[in-house]
Parts: sequence; C-alpha cells; structure tokens
Amino acid sequence: MEIKRIIVSHDNITNHLDNVSTSISKGKVTTIIGPNGCGKSTLLSVLSRSTMPTSGTASLENRDLVMFKPKEFAKKLAIVYQQNDVPKDLTIEKLVGFGRLPHKTLLQSNQEEDRKAIDWALTVTNLTDKRHNDLEALSGGERQRVWIAMALAQQSEILCLDEPTTYLDIYYQIELLELVKSLNEDYGLTIIMVLHDINQAIRYSDEIIMMKNGQIIAEGPPRDIITKDVIKEVYGVNAVFKEDDELGLYMMSLGI
Amino acid sequence: MRKRIASYVIVSLLLVVTIVYSATTGSIKMGFFEFFSALFEQGNSQMEAIRDLRFPRMIVAIFAGAALSVSGVLLQSVMRNPLADAGIIGISSGAAFVQLFIISLFPMLFFMTPLFAFMGGAFACFLVFALSWKSDLSPLKLILVGIAINAMFTGLTEAFISFGGSLNVSASSIVGSNLTMRTWSDVSIIATYGTIGLILAFALYSWCNLLVLQDKTAKSIGFHVARARLIIAAVAVLLAAISVVVAGVISFVGLLVPHIARRLVGYDHKVLIPFTALLGALIILLADTLGRTIVAPLEIPASTLMAIIGGPFLIFLLRKE
Repeated sequence: MEIKRIIVSHDNITNHLDNVSTSISKGKVTTIIGPNGCGKSTLLSVLSRSTMPTSGTASLENRDLVMFKPKEFAKKLAIVYQQNDVPKDLTIEKLVGFGRLPHKTLLQSNQEEDRKAIDWALTVTNLTDKRHNDLEALSGGERQRVWIAMALAQQSEILCLDEPTTYLDIYYQIELLELVKSLNEDYGLTIIMVLHDINQAIRYSDEIIMMKNGQIIAEGPPRDIITKDVIKEVYGVNAVFKEDDELGLYMMSLGI
Repeated sequence: MRKRIASYVIVSLLLVVTIVYSATTGSIKMGFFEFFSALFEQGNSQMEAIRDLRFPRMIVAIFAGAALSVSGVLLQSVMRNPLADAGIIGISSGAAFVQLFIISLFPMLFFMTPLFAFMGGAFACFLVFALSWKSDLSPLKLILVGIAINAMFTGLTEAFISFGGSLNVSASSIVGSNLTMRTWSDVSIIATYGTIGLILAFALYSWCNLLVLQDKTAKSIGFHVARARLIIAAVAVLLAAISVVVAGVISFVGLLVPHIARRLVGYDHKVLIPFTALLGALIILLADTLGRTIVAPLEIPASTLMAIIGGPFLIFLLRKE
C-alpha cells in the first residue's frame, strides 16, 4: 500500500495530515504511534478509505483506492474501529456473518464458503463456544474479539485496527496483541494498527510510523527509530531505554 | 424460537377471529353459521350489504394497519431510532397535504393520487432527515423536528381546507381518518400498492439488519449505507402514503406495533417484518371494529383510538430513552 503527498483538512484551516507519504509493506505488522491529535487515526482512516484526502493519492496494488468498488475493497482490507455500538438481540455468529457481505451478490452466495470462513474467524478469536451467545452478554475483551472476528470473516489480506487495546485491561490487551501477532505470523495477514503504548508497539511491530502534528517524524523498524531523542521530540518526555534478555528493548519514562 | 412460533400462531388466530367478529357485528348482525353459509351463496340481501359495505372497510383496515406498521419498522431501522413513525414525524401529513393540494388544483389527475401522496411523504421524510442529520439522528432531536414538520403540514392542510370551502373541496377524510364508506375501488388501490410495498419491505430485511451497525463499520464491510437508507426510506414512504390515500392519517400505529412485535419475536427483520404486518393488521381492524360498535350508532375513528392509546405509549418510550 502506498500513499503520496496526502493532505487531509476537515475545516480547510488546519491540516490534520500535512503532506504525508509512506508505504506499507505487505505481510508485516505496521504500527502508527504518536501523541493525541497527531493524525494517526486520520492516517489509518485514509488507508482504509473511510476518509477521502483533500489532496494526494492513496493506492493499493498500484490502483487508486477510489477506483475500488466498496465490496471489492472490503475483500482487500478490513478494519476494526476503537468503539462500536453493541446491537441488541444479535448473536456472535450472526454479527460475524455480516463480515461475509463483500463475498455476496444480490442473487448468489456460497453458503459453504461462508460457513467455513465464519468457523475459521470464530476459532482464531477463540469464540467458538460462545457463538450462539448474545453480544450484550460479553466482556469488553470478548466484544473486541467479536469485531475482529467479523473483520476476519471478510478474508481480506490487510487488517487495520484503530487503538484495539484502549478500553481493555492489561490481560485482554496482551491477549489481543498475541492474537494480532498470530494472525500475522500464522495466517500471513498484513496488519496496520494504531497503538498508544510505546512498549507494546516496539514489541509487536515490524515497522513503526511515528507522527506528530500531522506529519511523519520517523519510520522504520522499532529499534532503528525509537530513541531517547525522538521520544523527547515527539512526546516531550524524558525516557530511558533498557535492553533486557527476555523483554528485548523497553522504555521507561522519567519525567517531563 | 418457541416464543416466535407461539406469537405468530396466536396473532394469526386473533386476526381470523377478529375478521369473523368484525364481519358479523354492527348495524347488520349475523350469526357465525348464518354468515358462513351465506358467504358461499348469492342472493342473501344481508350478505350483499356486508359484501358491499363492510368487507371493503375491513380489507382497507387490514392493509392500512399492516402498511403503517411495516413503514414504522423500516423508518426505525433507517433512522436508527425507536421512536420514528410516519404519522408522528410528518410523513403522513406531508403525503396528505400534497395529495390534497394537487388534486384540488388539477382534479382530472385524481388517478395519480398515490404518486402525489408519495411525493409529499418523500418530501417530509427528506426534511426530517436533513434537519436532524447534524445531531446524528439523535432520537429526541428527530422527534422534535418531526413534530414540527407534522405541525406544519397539518396546518397547511387545515388552512387549505378552510380556504377551499369556496372551492367546494371536501377533504375531511384526509385530515383525520375515517374508514366508513370505503369501496372496492379503495380496496384495489391499497391492495395493489400495499402488497407491492410489503413484498419490497420483506425483500429488504437483510439491509435493515445490517443498519444496526454504525455507519463506519457498515461501510467497512462494503455495504452501501446511503443507497440502502434511500431505498428503505422510499419503501417506508410508499407504505405510509398509500395508507393516507385510502385510510387517511393514522398516527402511532407505526410506533406501537413494531415495539410490541420486537418484544415478542426479536430484532431479526426477517421475522420481524412479516410479524409486524400481521400484528398491525390485527390492531387497526380491532380498533376500527371497536370504534364502530362500542358507541353505535356513533363511530369513533380508528385513528382517534390509536391516538388515545399511542400518546401515553410515546411518553412511556420517551421516559425510557
């Protein structure tokens, strides 16, 4: 995926994305990080075609994103948003089944294939036992997994996640990131996500895009770009980095 | 599942019982056995009167109830708002006004009445949408906007009628609703368009189900949210408009019936839409039958009974929101 000189402005005064160009490598986990309001979610929404850029181009497989039909694009890229309303009286299985929409046309659908995809999505997200439960009865961590399962049922090559761990406690955060990791390693999905936690970003990403004020400050493998100076510049935080045999690289913030 | 089947069976039975009761009760009374034997023979004068006067009225009531209730389900789905009802938010009064206005000016176009009613309803629906869009269709805002639109069109209609007294316009049946003196030609209008509308509504059930997702999520799975909304709203307006043409404005049915229906059969529109149609038919037929029998020979219009029950019900729903 590639974007070139993207400018996004919601009010025509300030640019939420200011001349951003980058490319996302296939088969990798790419994480976008940066302080609040830096444009990281906006960048993700441009990549997932939910925001149309004011100028610039975004393309997938050398085709401009606007050229894709909605269902065609949904077969290429799925996205899980940070917060979702919980519909009433809907079983997990039915909700996950919505993810099959891009594979259906008005007159035909392959039910066998749909069933397989739904089963797979439920198995991967460890929700098979609860498939007939109502969504309302689930915990926050389980609900987040249900939305991921719906996205997986699309069977796209790219999966985007907008701050998937934000409202979860630490157990579910780890569970979720491990799920993302296995989706990438075992099933070859390209992952693009926005995270808040820098240590989680270091640990679970192949590539990091670091943003501030609508611009990309640094991008590359975590070890190459996340340094004391960059953290100071982007977040205004003094930090130290330690190398640990088990943990790898990790960051502690000292103060502001 | 068992509750669903039981609900379907009970409401169907009640509908049949109400149909028989309604057909045999009123100014001409008949016993059940007498009625059934007369049903299949010619020349029974009482039966002829029932056939000409009572059957059309009953069929119109059944179709109007089904159409208005399903219209409510569709509007609630499209606006993602449990309080939407064609009568309350002004779609019916928009349809009534435009229909009256155009037909008064061009009486020779009377055969196109359903089309004008549809245009009026669509215009009112568009206004409600456009004016409450900014608040993300928040339930209360939408109802407030709708009540204002409704007041405007009702006012316009009333002004037009008092003004048109000299033009010899008789339009009292459009303002309120009165099911007396319906004819078989009324039946053919509502049966034709009503059936088309109800079939279209059912065909849209999977779209209605998908609209429980937030717009951004629905879009991300490749769903044409705007197109689906437009088409579903158009079918809802068709159903409401055709009821207005034949039965006048009846509010609150589209609010009351879907709400009870969801309690009984759940939120899946595949089951909900047909059930709502059945239940709506039952309720309006019942309201009309009671309206013409409890204080006979006077009549209470079905719309009046619905308003008496529906008003408190809306307050109850608003308090729960």
